[in-house]
Amino acid sequence: MDFLSQIFLLLRKDLLLELRRRESLLTMFFFGTLLLFVFHFSFDLAPERVAEMAPALLWLAFLFTGTLGLAQLFEAERGNHCLEALLLSPMDRGALFLAKTAFNLILMVLVEIVVIPLFWVLFNLRSWDVIPNLFLVTLLGTVGFCVLGTLLSAVTLKARARELLLPLVLFPLMIPVILGTIRCMETILRAGELGEALPWLRLLIGFDVIFLTVGVLIFDWVIEV
Amino acid sequence: MHLTVRHLAKAYGLRWALKDVSFDLPAGEVVALLGPNGAGKTTLLKLLAGLISPTAGEIVLDGSNFTRGAAVQRSAIGFLAPGEHLYENLTVRENLVFFISLYKKRGAIAQIDATLDEVGLKHRSEEYVAALSSGMKCRLSIAQWKLLEPGLLLLDEPYGVLDGNGIDLLESFLRAQSRKGSVVFIASHHVARVLNLCTRAVILHQGRLTFNEARQQPWDSFNRAFGEFLPHGESWTS
Repeated sequence: MDFLSQIFLLLRKDLLLELRRRESLLTMFFFGTLLLFVFHFSFDLAPERVAEMAPALLWLAFLFTGTLGLAQLFEAERGNHCLEALLLSPMDRGALFLAKTAFNLILMVLVEIVVIPLFWVLFNLRSWDVIPNLFLVTLLGTVGFCVLGTLLSAVTLKARARELLLPLVLFPLMIPVILGTIRCMETILRAGELGEALPWLRLLIGFDVIFLTVGVLIFDWVIEV
Repeated sequence: MHLTVRHLAKAYGLRWALKDVSFDLPAGEVVALLGPNGAGKTTLLKLLAGLISPTAGEIVLDGSNFTRGAAVQRSAIGFLAPGEHLYENLTVRENLVFFISLYKKRGAIAQIDATLDEVGLKHRSEEYVAALSSGMKCRLSIAQWKLLEPGLLLLDEPYGVLDGNGIDLLESFLRAQSRKGSVVFIASHHVARVLNLCTRAVILHQGRLTFNEARQQPWDSFNRAFGEFLPHGESWTS
């Protein structure tokens, strides 16, 4: 079985389990929505100020929501020592890394598809035409978050209080992605196009490619039962 | 499958769980892996399965050095731990199809029904594993490894949850694997049962190999070596 088939097999299994348990997606969706309502009631902002604050507020929501998803990422494998069963098999461990990253990415994108338009509605923003570009930038940032998050989730898998440890390790390392995404989103909201944010966009793409490659190469050494 | 272990050692931090373990096993050997709690039996099984890396020493499978990353060698190793290694929210059939696909033995998918029938689970093939009893899960693990046919099969306490019929099923499977040339390792505290099945016994004590002999009748050396691990006042005759 080639590498892509292994990724597809593992991803299909994770999606099937999620469809049956509905734990991660529902929790992430409700938490993301709840955060937006908290922001809405906490900040009484004029529309022009909202456009300035939107990228940071949206990314706060994505970071916290995504961390919830990461905490659950290997939950199906922790029960019944299924991780042992996977590591025992002849599967390429890089495929496991990519399948888990893809699974987490799918969950986060589904949440973002709801959260971004909801943010526009709640804060009464009128610039709906910039949303496709915002989605594109958010997707690049989300890939970076999922790649690094999956790697660190595996590193902290056996740690005590891993739910606390994971964000403590993850958030500082996520600073380039957070900065890059927020700067790109600010530019899009201000100018309607990416233009001067291209260096930040390159940083995001570079971050994604580097950590994706590093993750596939080192995952075998990171994950041990 | 020919298995050779040379000077194998594993340390967790400063504590040695296994120290300088060496043995050589030809194809078809059924090994009883015995010893008191904390002797290093599970550590040895995990090392042989490639689930953990040794601190020192080497494992050689059919003449090739076994490393954690070696996918071809991993496909020849099975680990039967009752009730474990199964996804509770997948059905019996989905679990088997998933693992058969991971092991690249898609031809075995056609044999799922027949194998489930042999282990008495055909009528429950569409049920979630979570709905099965511990004994049934163990039967499912037996079905899984029957389909995957590993050259080296490792078993960790397989008898605890099986009923009489389940034990017969397991033992006939292990004898069949041995006849096909597989090496079978059984770590268990059910000594009488495992000795009845094995062709060799290995005893670990405090991480060291203290006994390694082919089965014989009578077996005085084993009785002496194993006697010290029995409860106070009990004696043992194999």
